[in-house]
Amino acid sequence: MAASMGRRLLLHGHRWFSQSESAVPTQPPDSLYPPIVASATAKSKAAKRRRLEHFNQRVHAAASIEEKLRLYGQLQRPKYMIYPQTFALNADRWYRSFTKTVFLPGLPPRRAPAAAQAPGVAAPEAAKAVEGAAPQAAEAAEPGAAAPGAAKTPAPAAGAAPYLDMGELRSLACDALLQESFYQNKKRPFLYRDQDHTPGPFLTQLVSTLAAFLCGRNPLLAAASLDLNPEVNYYWHHGEEVVVHGHRKGRVDPVRFQIDDNPHLQIRVPKQLPEFVPLESDLGDVPVIDHKPSKLPLFKKQYENKVFIGSKVADPCCYGHTQFHLIPDKLNRKRFIRADLEDQIEVVYRANGIASLFAWTAAQAMYQGFWSEADVTRPFVSQAVVTDGKYFAFFCFQLNTLALTVETIQNNPRKNICWGTDSKPLYDVVEDGSVKGFNDEVLLQLVRFLLNRPKEL
Amino acid sequence: YPLFQLGGPQLRIFRPNFFMLAVRPGVPQPEDTVQFRVSMQMTKMDIKNYLEKIYNVPVAAVRTRIQYGANNKRNHKNQRVKKPDYKVAYVQLGQGQTFQFPNLFPEKEQDAETRSFDDFKDKYMEREKQRQKGDPRRGGVPDWFGL
Repeated sequence: MAASMGRRLLLHGHRWFSQSESAVPTQPPDSLYPPIVASATAKSKAAKRRRLEHFNQRVHAAASIEEKLRLYGQLQRPKYMIYPQTFALNADRWYRSFTKTVFLPGLPPRRAPAAAQAPGVAAPEAAKAVEGAAPQAAEAAEPGAAAPGAAKTPAPAAGAAPYLDMGELRSLACDALLQESFYQNKKRPFLYRDQDHTPGPFLTQLVSTLAAFLCGRNPLLAAASLDLNPEVNYYWHHGEEVVVHGHRKGRVDPVRFQIDDNPHLQIRVPKQLPEFVPLESDLGDVPVIDHKPSKLPLFKKQYENKVFIGSKVADPCCYGHTQFHLIPDKLNRKRFIRADLEDQIEVVYRANGIASLFAWTAAQAMYQGFWSEADVTRPFVSQAVVTDGKYFAFFCFQLNTLALTVETIQNNPRKNICWGTDSKPLYDVVEDGSVKGFNDEVLLQLVRFLLNRPKEL
Repeated sequence: YPLFQLGGPQLRIFRPNFFMLAVRPGVPQPEDTVQFRVSMQMTKMDIKNYLEKIYNVPVAAVRTRIQYGANNKRNHKNQRVKKPDYKVAYVQLGQGQTFQFPNLFPEKEQDAETRSFDDFKDKYMEREKQRQKGDPRRGGVPDWFGL
């Protein structure tokens, strides 16, 4: 009778306990006396700790990744919804504090290629940021130069260095742009649907043609999967708060977050991209904000705790390569300039890059079986391009840690790292069937992103 | 006044009949956020223009909510007494400015005279209380109790 009473109390207070499991794991048969441990059903801190430990053991011992994800997101409670594309002021600082990310302007340092390279390679190695791409773009514009051609391919090219024709790439990009904005006869865009009218199809066309063109140089792209308008979700806990009102008032709860993102395009690959910096590097500081997340403003809702990278777990292309985001019409540059908020333009790009890439890389890590109690053993790396059709900003993210909950963050010195550039225009204006002021550096950076691949290939 | 047409000279000034009251936030707000109680008829655009045009305060964003005043208290006739509703505006300042609500009632520094007077007063009150107390061996029982 006592046992059945205990079971009923258990079910009433803790919904995530399945009916068939008992609170106490089975004792090993060789001990004479049962082990003296805290109760598992009492209203005490020791009992809560024991229940949490039992839950962690259940997730660790889950049979498959799907089961692990199901148990991880089983308990539904109100959580903050983080939107990567947000109008909130200084959102990138808040997002960095939620995801324990360090932001470094510029792009990550180039990986040193193997020996026996032309001296022309030393020049791109020294140039770490996009600004340094100017001399390389100038070199690349000269036809028939083999050294800059070797510089474009990050991996050492055995034998003849494949030469990248900037003219051809430029013509591909201009063709896509002109087709969408000049040659094709389109009606006026619907209200606030400007992005779906021209920049959206242009981006899709550009990426698919470039990816197809560069397949020969990058065999990873040939095995990649290009998703159109995929869904990326991630759910995590970070920090603690006291429940303010409701029947659970006064209890200390973890702060729950959920990102639901829809990038415009996404490239998933079967092999992981190599890391930019070692796993334990400390390259900056994470901002600490001791206000509640609702002051951002951020709002709570309770719904399914989803972790998704764009395809299910069984898909062989389970690692991420590049995401392409299109900034919606509500957040375009003219609005910010009219409202005297020029500095917030870059904040939009940065917040989008950080939030989307964190969600994607963390979901990839969960697909490999890592979670906050089982931290990643190798860094997960992805890239993103955020654009509004004309201005492009490039981001690289290295996920070094998933342990963001209150217990696991205490002894965790690792931080996630995000590199990002400012937004630069790809062209100035399109008129009379020609593109004026085409910027080769931006296209070059895009091509370099697409050519990124592991060293073995 | 002559009838106004678009592009003509503006000869009349309209002053708003609104009032904004800066209040101390009940919960801690970020450094760039100021909390106001405003008239129920004001909109976010109104608040932004009010602060920018009259007080030259750069405003980046405004969020508003309406606080419902409770209707639970009762007067001597058992009629419900309503506390009035009001609108609260959270204004985020632009150009990196910050605002901290000042402490309106700081503790005054006591000079030597007031301090010694306070000490004297405390000692006097102690002595009076001791005198009022009876014999401590009686354990607080009054004097009139007994044989």
